[in-house]
Amino acid sequence: MTGRGDVTTGPLAVGQFVSMVKRTLSHEPMFQRQAIKGEVSQWKPYASGHTYFTLRDDEGQISAVIWKGRCSIHPSIKEGSEVVVTANLDLYVKRGNIQLIVERIEPINALGAMEEARRHLVERLRNEGELDRVRHQPPFAPKHIAIVTGEGSAALADMQRLIDNRWPGLRRTVIGVLVQGDRAAEEIVRALALTRRLANPSVAALRGEPPVDLVIVGRGGGSPEDLWAFNLEPVVRAILASPVPVVSAVGHESDLLVSDLVADIRASTPSNAIERSVPIRAELEQWLDETDERLNHATLRTFGDARQQLVALHARLKVAPLAGINGGKRSMLALQSKLNRATEARFAHERTRIAGLEASLHSIHPQRVLERGYAMTQTADGEVITNASMLTVGQRFNLQFVDGAAEAAVTEIHTTEE
Amino acid sequence: MTEKQPTYNEAAQRLEAIVATLERGGLGLDETLKLYEEGAALLKTCQAELVAAEGRLNELRLEDLEQELQTQEAENQD
Repeated sequence: MTGRGDVTTGPLAVGQFVSMVKRTLSHEPMFQRQAIKGEVSQWKPYASGHTYFTLRDDEGQISAVIWKGRCSIHPSIKEGSEVVVTANLDLYVKRGNIQLIVERIEPINALGAMEEARRHLVERLRNEGELDRVRHQPPFAPKHIAIVTGEGSAALADMQRLIDNRWPGLRRTVIGVLVQGDRAAEEIVRALALTRRLANPSVAALRGEPPVDLVIVGRGGGSPEDLWAFNLEPVVRAILASPVPVVSAVGHESDLLVSDLVADIRASTPSNAIERSVPIRAELEQWLDETDERLNHATLRTFGDARQQLVALHARLKVAPLAGINGGKRSMLALQSKLNRATEARFAHERTRIAGLEASLHSIHPQRVLERGYAMTQTADGEVITNASMLTVGQRFNLQFVDGAAEAAVTEIHTTEE
Repeated sequence: MTEKQPTYNEAAQRLEAIVATLERGGLGLDETLKLYEEGAALLKTCQAELVAAEGRLNELRLEDLEQELQTQEAENQD
């Protein structure tokens, strides 16, 4: 329709010219889907749903439009917001205006600066060794949980319901705070200060309850800005200052906040915080009952075995010693009679022997011999003369008879030669 | 104060060890009785811990708890 030829043949209609410019612009890749950074000014959302504004910086400016429903607009975007837009350059032929047709708009100033601060905070915490610190061991069965979360929030309702399912009547103190907005961090910090006081045994004693032994701090899901309080240094420091274990339970599974990095337990969600810190009481009770039974059973068995052993021993005792005594008695009696018999035999033998001895003694007594007509010769000294050789001729000697003695003298000696 | 009350978990672990030892058997009566008594005491500790976790359900707004604690501490000082 139009071409270079038209330029050379005469003047162009302005509409034609502007249309040409528009076409040229639309063919330039640099001007399509370009990311541009700038400040929002003259921000005008229209009732039609379209939003008009000017993107500007110190060097220049350009009109921009966001067609209705074309992209999501972050609620924080307002006059003066630093944004990055992704847009196509267009020319509105009727007015000859150049404008950006925005396909994407994101605030940078807030989130960017926040990101930067967060990075610095994490870096600082890492250098201080807080990220590698030894974590508090959470109690196996907490006696008093403190929950810091949004007052009347869905997250709180979820946590309450879960606690009541797992451990009905578990002691808890819920501290309702703002969890998003400018005052959130300050309130969370104050609430954590209260949990430190409730964890103090003397304060707890004053209140007539066990000290807080577990703190859950968190909230349900939301945009990064909504969760941002949990990336702020005062909140992080308050978590680190807790004398009792702290569970960080912020947002959804995918949200990772600085509070998660420093907490003793990182729970993916508020519900997960309860699942990880509150045991199921019925299970513990069942275990205790079973253990009670096992303890008694094992002990009774040992004692039962011992008693059985004792009964058996007793029965054996009843019989065994008597058998011994009887046996002893029997063998003693046997021994005794054997002894008796032996003694008797011995005595009898001795008696016979003695009688024999007596008889022979009797028979050999000199008196008996003399009675039979023999005489005994003795020297003057009383020595019995048994041999003729003991005598000398002329020697005097005595002859002893049964009824007296006579003196004699040797007249002749005859010895018998062999 | 010097002897720390065992936590539920410590008590439960010791209890499990005691029961396992008793179930293995082969101990003298003296030792069995000693372990039984220790086990029974641990059971009581554990049961008491469960009961001790029952209590008040406080739900307060931040300022109200701050106020409550302040009042309590002030009363205590009088």
